[in-house]
Amino acid sequence: MIRVMAIARLVLLEMIRRRDVYALMIVLAALLLALLGLNVFGLGGTAGYVKEMGFLAAGLLGWSFAIQTGARQLPREEQTGTLFPLLAKPVSRWELVLGKWLGAWLASCMALAAFALVVLAAVACKGGRTDLITLLQAYALQITALAAVTALAICFSTRMHSDASSTLAYLVTGTAFLLTPRIPHLLTVATPGAREALLALYYLLPHAEWFDLRRRLVHDWGPAPWSVFALVVVYGALWTVAALLAAWAALRRKRFDRGAA
Amino acid sequence: MRAAIEISELSVNFATRQGSHAALDRLSLTVMPGTICGFLGPNGAGKTTTLHVLLGFIAPTSGSATLLGADVRQSIARERIGYLPENPDLYGFLSARELLTFAGRLFGLDRATIRRRSRTLLEETGLAGDADRRIATYSRGMKQRLGLAQALINDPDLLILDEPTGGLDPLARLDVRRILADRRAVGKTVFFSSHELSEVESVCDRIAIIARGRLVAEGTMAGLVPPGQTLERFFIDSVTDRKGGET
Repeated sequence: MIRVMAIARLVLLEMIRRRDVYALMIVLAALLLALLGLNVFGLGGTAGYVKEMGFLAAGLLGWSFAIQTGARQLPREEQTGTLFPLLAKPVSRWELVLGKWLGAWLASCMALAAFALVVLAAVACKGGRTDLITLLQAYALQITALAAVTALAICFSTRMHSDASSTLAYLVTGTAFLLTPRIPHLLTVATPGAREALLALYYLLPHAEWFDLRRRLVHDWGPAPWSVFALVVVYGALWTVAALLAAWAALRRKRFDRGAA
Repeated sequence: MRAAIEISELSVNFATRQGSHAALDRLSLTVMPGTICGFLGPNGAGKTTTLHVLLGFIAPTSGSATLLGADVRQSIARERIGYLPENPDLYGFLSARELLTFAGRLFGLDRATIRRRSRTLLEETGLAGDADRRIATYSRGMKQRLGLAQALINDPDLLILDEPTGGLDPLARLDVRRILADRRAVGKTVFFSSHELSEVESVCDRIAIIARGRLVAEGTMAGLVPPGQTLERFFIDSVTDRKGGET
């Protein structure tokens, strides 16, 4: 576990020193300032609107940050050559995958917390309030989703360049977020052949919408039932473990032979 | 006595568009503890591939290899070794001290031991004054010296070096030679690949020459190089024979 923690700490240090997260926070703050200042559709003045748009933006930035951070870990280590002194230590491939994932996930959790704080500050400026329990539930589900997203990005990056793996991760998770909630409706109008394909997608793609408690936060519906919350956390954990195992299987026998002849 | 490195009938094939290319062809080599062994060969001979198999980066197509008695396919084989790659690419966002701490943690060392060894190694490699500067600002020679320091953080019984003096000025080369001699004096083993024959001549007890993935000569300098001949001449003759008069 010492090795896993050491690798994870390295990823966190890199995130802090790369300053990507600060740039994203500035983008978010600028967006929120614009929302606070403008009166789009006459809704600019309401705390609910700022809350909805703010949490949506924070979620999107967190998602993007998790994919980018996860997808670049292994390919960049290989590309820059830092992977070689690392693998020459008594670090197993599984420890490498786990350490990289843990670091990327913790970095994403910290980034999301920072984004959420910016949103909460903006909501507070408008005199809005947010239920603490619902907020913590929403955060817990979001970071569970980020665990799976980061693991998927790392899994893809074991066999692809970082740009290709992040694109694939955006496609899979984006489709999961936008398409899967609409599949039940689409099934009612689909032809028999398309119905089979839609059903396959429904069961194959992760249900990203289950991790989104934004509406509960915005409309003050209160926290989700704890049993449902626990099931969704377990569902996210299963996706994470499956992606990490796939990453390990892909990496286990991979040859790293830069400069060898 | 258990060999520090034991390579037996090792073959590595790489898939190419034309089919398959044998980077190593039934290579066998034994390096005994307490020696400095120079691993020589022309470009493309299979030196780096051999080192990469020993370090677990590449799984062999056939054959086996052990480091200090442990199979190279297991991560435990790397617990008592140190490795310096040809171009030590290090994390630019870390300082030298942070890099040594990271390396020490990967070997499972406690913080007090890491602190103590880091201090000694930074002084030995002449980096003590720059220990808290970001590695990204280091010169190539400084990176090479830091790469050597991180390879020594666990006080390894076996040191594997790929072109250890590349990019170093003459004074820094002398420092590296001194460090290698110190390792031998305390009974440690050093296995290094190099193109610098003068370097090999000055520090090695034994040499192994590889060409086209096969061992063509192995032994002590005195036993291999005939009186009146230079190592360079012997090396060229050995490699030329294997290449069928190409060189």
